[in-house]
Amino acid sequence: MRSNTRTRRRRRGVRGVSCSPLSWGLGLASVDRASSNVGAGNWKGLGMWAWILFRIAGLVLVIYLFAHIGVISTGRAVGPSTINDLFSTFDFWLFVLLDLLLVWAVVFHAMNGVRIVLMDMGIGIHRHKLVFWLCMAGALVIIAGFAAVAFRFILEEGGVL
Amino acid sequence: MRAEILERSRGGMWAWLFQRITAVLLFIGLAMHLGATHLFAIGELSYDNIAERLGSWFFVTIDVLLLAAVLFHALNGFRMVVLDYWFSERRSRTVLTVVLWLIGVAAFVYGMWALWPWIKA
Repeated sequence: MRSNTRTRRRRRGVRGVSCSPLSWGLGLASVDRASSNVGAGNWKGLGMWAWILFRIAGLVLVIYLFAHIGVISTGRAVGPSTINDLFSTFDFWLFVLLDLLLVWAVVFHAMNGVRIVLMDMGIGIHRHKLVFWLCMAGALVIIAGFAAVAFRFILEEGGVL
Repeated sequence: MRAEILERSRGGMWAWLFQRITAVLLFIGLAMHLGATHLFAIGELSYDNIAERLGSWFFVTIDVLLLAAVLFHALNGFRMVVLDYWFSERRSRTVLTVVLWLIGVAAFVYGMWALWPWIKA
């Protein structure tokens, strides 16, 4: 592990007790940054946003998961016509956009998750910001692909295309 | 270094490990799941469309695996968030874990029941 004066000074900067209520549960304030989840305990900057958005996306997806199981199961629980009615409701542009937001949440959560798994395995720890931006670039490409398909569908439904 | 990471995972070593294993499963499974529903069958989703896809043993297997993996990943992720703020007592933590397991198993059984006509076939 490198420990020249510059990194040592930087490390001293991120140590200490975090004061934000959201970081109370982390208990990471005195953990060596190089061996912990990137940005955790560093209650500012990029790592904080990655962590907050990861959690929010995760919680949103937990709620969606149960809604999803409920909706899809109506196919057997209530009958084919009910699920078909639901599907045609979901083809309305507003629901397509909401669905697209969910896909974005999945993709962000997944790509940030890739980064976390890599960090846990010790891969790319010394290049963690580069790894983060590479993951986000991948996420952006996937998100753009899903958006292109969704917007084309909305425009075709609306008779524009 | 890895020991430190494991020590920090306050939800337990196995939960931490399975969270990673299910993450990898979900990454692969959801890529197919979302590709099939949001890219190839956008606007065409219906009972018949899904029934046709579930007609192949491959997609049924993927769906069953996804159901189990996603329920564990979601409920354990929820548990980790909750444990960061509440349930610091060992006893209440166990209660939380047991309740979440019951919810997960119930949801898995319900999902399996909904998929059963295609699993059986």
